[in-house]
Amino acid sequence: MNLAIRDVQNDLSRFALTAVGLGLLLTIVLAMTGIYNGILQDATALPDSLGCDLWVVQRNTRGPFAELSRISPDLEDRARAVPGVRAARSYVSHTIQRELPTGKPIRFTAVGLSWPDDRGERLAIVDGRALSQPHFECIVDRSLGLSLGARLTLGRDVYEVVGITEGLLASGGDPAVFFTRSDAQAIQYDQSNEAIRLDRESRTRRFNESSLKNNEALRRRSLEANVSSPALGPPPIAAVLIDVMPGIDPEDVRSQLEEWRDITVYTQEQQDELILGGVVEKTKKQIGLFRGLLVIISAILMSLIIYTMTVDKIHSIALLKLLGAKPQVILGMILQEALLLGGIAYAIAILIGNATFHLFPRRVVVGNEHRLTLLGIVFAISVAASIIGMRKALAADPNEVLAS
Amino acid sequence: MNTLKPAIRAQGLSKDYGEGNTFVRALQDCSFELNAGEVVALLGPSGSGKSTLLTILGLINEPTTGDLWIGDSQVIEAGKVAQDVNDVRRQELGFVFQRSNLIPFLSAEENVRLVLELDEISPREAKKRTKEIMAALEIWDRADNAPNKLSGGQQQRVAIARALINEPSLLLADEPTAALDKSRGRQVMGLFQTAARERNAAVLVVTHDHRALDLVDRIFMIEDGLLDTESQFKPSEFGVIGK
Ligand SMILES: Nc1ncnc2c1ncn2[C@@H]1O[C@H](COP(=O)(O)OP(=O)(O)OP(=O)(O)O)[C@@H](O)[C@H]1O
Ligand SMILES: [Mg+2]
Repeated sequence: MNLAIRDVQNDLSRFALTAVGLGLLLTIVLAMTGIYNGILQDATALPDSLGCDLWVVQRNTRGPFAELSRISPDLEDRARAVPGVRAARSYVSHTIQRELPTGKPIRFTAVGLSWPDDRGERLAIVDGRALSQPHFECIVDRSLGLSLGARLTLGRDVYEVVGITEGLLASGGDPAVFFTRSDAQAIQYDQSNEAIRLDRESRTRRFNESSLKNNEALRRRSLEANVSSPALGPPPIAAVLIDVMPGIDPEDVRSQLEEWRDITVYTQEQQDELILGGVVEKTKKQIGLFRGLLVIISAILMSLIIYTMTVDKIHSIALLKLLGAKPQVILGMILQEALLLGGIAYAIAILIGNATFHLFPRRVVVGNEHRLTLLGIVFAISVAASIIGMRKALAADPNEVLAS
Repeated sequence: MNTLKPAIRAQGLSKDYGEGNTFVRALQDCSFELNAGEVVALLGPSGSGKSTLLTILGLINEPTTGDLWIGDSQVIEAGKVAQDVNDVRRQELGFVFQRSNLIPFLSAEENVRLVLELDEISPREAKKRTKEIMAALEIWDRADNAPNKLSGGQQQRVAIARALINEPSLLLADEPTAALDKSRGRQVMGLFQTAARERNAAVLVVTHDHRALDLVDRIFMIEDGLLDTESQFKPSEFGVIGK
């Protein structure tokens, strides 16, 4: 007969209740781990999905995710000329909040893809397709809540949803929406009619006050609806994404590019580190702290439970000693009960986790390695908790049997 | 009964508790022999050292000085336990106490069988022997009951079955009948007598209960830690009144 199991059976409801309580606690530990992983994955999902070797950003900035970066669009062509560079794409992004015709507000980060080199094929498109024309199509993240074929009116243009991605969020947690670069910039620099009218008026006034007011050609030109001064270049871009030729060390290309004084270059890993070190650093620490605290609380609770369970049967333990039970029989009973409790609580945590984590508002990412880690932690806690009970049991005096 | 070698031989057992103001000499230079197959009653006023002697014989407490042999092997030498306590307890000793002291989370049958399982006897054999002894003690019909579902007398019979199942050389009982009424008390004492005879054990019973003393072979008296093995009381003097 197994003494641990017989003892547990004797007060099954108490044991079950304890196991469920502990299991819920472990569920939260697992959830915390999953949320932590989710934050890390969400944060790097977008840069990772763009799939490049090097990021060229504005000099001394940590852009384009952790910080704003503005570079000249000609950097794309300049970069292409560098030996070892296979391809260069520009990257633009900005966050937009609009109201749908239904009145429902939506918020997303518009990301510009370098049409025609990059049509979004590298994104993990789970539904639909990549962009197939240079204008008026977009790929949206599922979390935005739009389905394939939906139409999105932005500025004076209408964009059709042709592809759906999953888990591609910008650092602020907003879903990413991919357009061609020119569309993205058109959306970014789109102005309301009123703004255009006011702008034209002020231009006319300035023109009339200037010494050029008699130049009829210039006057006509300045009153055109959508004018951009020839003195202004094309709008800046946020970054240039570089793919390195096969067999070339990205580090070599990086050191060449870094010679240019107007830019800073990051590898993909450095980019991830910038994001994790900067944007989600505090969240990461906070959740890490909670997770650590919960593990400690579980350990304390478990120790208390095992200790109480031992004290409750101290008389039986004294009796077992009197019957000549070897110490390992008694210690084994306590350890087995602790492991049984830990094991059942762990199973409950895994089951509840599997059943509920997808319902959490934040993404919970739990892999087998995390389950195994938790199992290791539960095992360690069970053993540690039983040591306290074991010490109590070893101290049990057979005289107690006589005294009662 | 008159075997050449006594089952138990104690030589010069003494036990001191405390020191200074709290010093108590609970046992003074006790020497005696117990034979296999006999039941000896240990009588004495409260605080005279009965339990002290029993716990020393049961290797629960060590004496201050003295020696003890069980059969051929010396288990206490100059006040120190000289053998593996657990081995001796499992193989040579049986205990019965005032209250039955069964393990509450095991059934009656498991409480008895446990002793054999602790001694690593095969489960088959253990089950067989458990059934035998519980049947002999007329408690087999309650085998599956939890201890708290048994009456005091039934619990005591389970405890006796447990004490006897490992065929001990020495069975120690501390006031086993105190919680029982007269007829049940006599019944328990009768069980000790049968066990001693049939299983060749030496039985030492601490008792205040004079109602069953006619069932023992010898009476030891103890007072202030001094043991008198040649007491003036003879079991035959304790006739059963009204029987
Ligand atoms: N652990 C101890 N520490 C100090 N003194 C003790 C201890 N155990 C027993 N004594 C003392 O030793 C003496 C003998 O005690 P013991 O328990 O052996 O008496 P007893 O004959 O069993 O009494 P009772 O009939 O009341 O059970 C008593 O004076 C008691 O106070
Ligand atoms: Mg006593």
